[in-house]
Amino acid sequence: MELSVSLAPDILFFIGGFPVTNTFFWSLFISLFLIILILFVRSRLKLIPGGLQNIVELLLEGGYSFVKSIAGTEKKAKRLFPLVFTMFVFILVANLATYIPGQSAVTLHKEEGVVSVFRAVIADYGMVFVMTLITFLITQIVMIAANGPFGYLGKFINFKGPMQFFLGLMDLVGELAKVISLSFRLFGNIFAGEILGAVMLFLAPFFVPLPFMFLGLVTAVVQAFVFAVLTLVFITMASEIPESEVSKSEPV
Amino acid sequence: MKLLEALGLDLRILIAQLINFAILVLVLWKFGYKPILKFLNDRKEKIEKGVEDARRASEKLEEMEQREAELVKAAKKEAAKILEEAKKQGEINRQKTVDKAKEEIGQIINQEKAKMEAEKGETLREIKREVGDLIVSSLEKILGEKMTDKKDEELIKKIVKNLK
Repeated sequence: MELSVSLAPDILFFIGGFPVTNTFFWSLFISLFLIILILFVRSRLKLIPGGLQNIVELLLEGGYSFVKSIAGTEKKAKRLFPLVFTMFVFILVANLATYIPGQSAVTLHKEEGVVSVFRAVIADYGMVFVMTLITFLITQIVMIAANGPFGYLGKFINFKGPMQFFLGLMDLVGELAKVISLSFRLFGNIFAGEILGAVMLFLAPFFVPLPFMFLGLVTAVVQAFVFAVLTLVFITMASEIPESEVSKSEPV
Repeated sequence: MKLLEALGLDLRILIAQLINFAILVLVLWKFGYKPILKFLNDRKEKIEKGVEDARRASEKLEEMEQREAELVKAAKKEAAKILEEAKKQGEINRQKTVDKAKEEIGQIINQEKAKMEAEKGETLREIKREVGDLIVSSLEKILGEKMTDKKDEELIKKIVKNLK
């Protein structure tokens, strides 16, 4: 038995030159699962909820009111909810899917060696990076829409004074650092959990990995929540015009 | 670049993931969140309306009950009044009838009395005449002879007067 750890996902096969990695494969799988699940729930919506509908209702209603409480207005909540909630659900399901027993045993034999078909989607930086990029881009777009293109630039580069200039540059760095911190927080947590689990399983296959698995379960839920909420907060913050500028344009 | 390679970042896969995620968001939103949230909202409104309706209905019921009670009270009062009046009227009617009956009875009695009086007079007169005739015939037989009409009559009258 050997323990192999790779940062990069393994390529399962090629479709016309397009490399299909095991994480991409699984992200498709999870997407399909989510779509089927929600269509199923939707097709049999009942006035008196039961079973699955109860859970979905609870998540949707709770999620929506939570998004609204942070976004502030109904309009903002309506726009942000689909993205934020999908991020949460996708990350959550992707993380929890690694706990399906037996899936790690499904492997594909190739000439380079044995490749497992399933791998935690979030333990692939690619998927996390894509979602972070979405957050980052929307944040910038919202900021431009709220402040205007010059107001947006003025946030980062200004010549009001040496201190303000320095702070503007710091904001620029902070904005870019958001991408790194947001993505690597999620990726690092899940990847570390995966590695830890694998190492524990390698060292002592019985009972010892259990506490780590419980910890991983908590991480799976918490990180999904954190990522979605941070996205929500970033975009909401970007949509708010700083008070100093409001008071300047509207003298009371 | 080494890092990107180590992380396994492939632009094609990133784009594919982006599209995949975008489709996921879109589908979940259009066919999932939106209709389900609308459904939940509708249901919420329906429940609110139901509760409101129930509240209104109970309010109305209370009002109706109150009105009913008032109505019953008024009806009872009215009935008591009518009964009282009827009693009074009945009393008056009875009194009237009784008076009338008394009057009638008195009349009848008076009439009968008068009739009896008349009859009595008639009978007496008849008796007197008969007795007179009888005495005349008896005296004729006793005396054996006819007295003169004048004497006879005087005598009879005297006797009859003494008889009385």
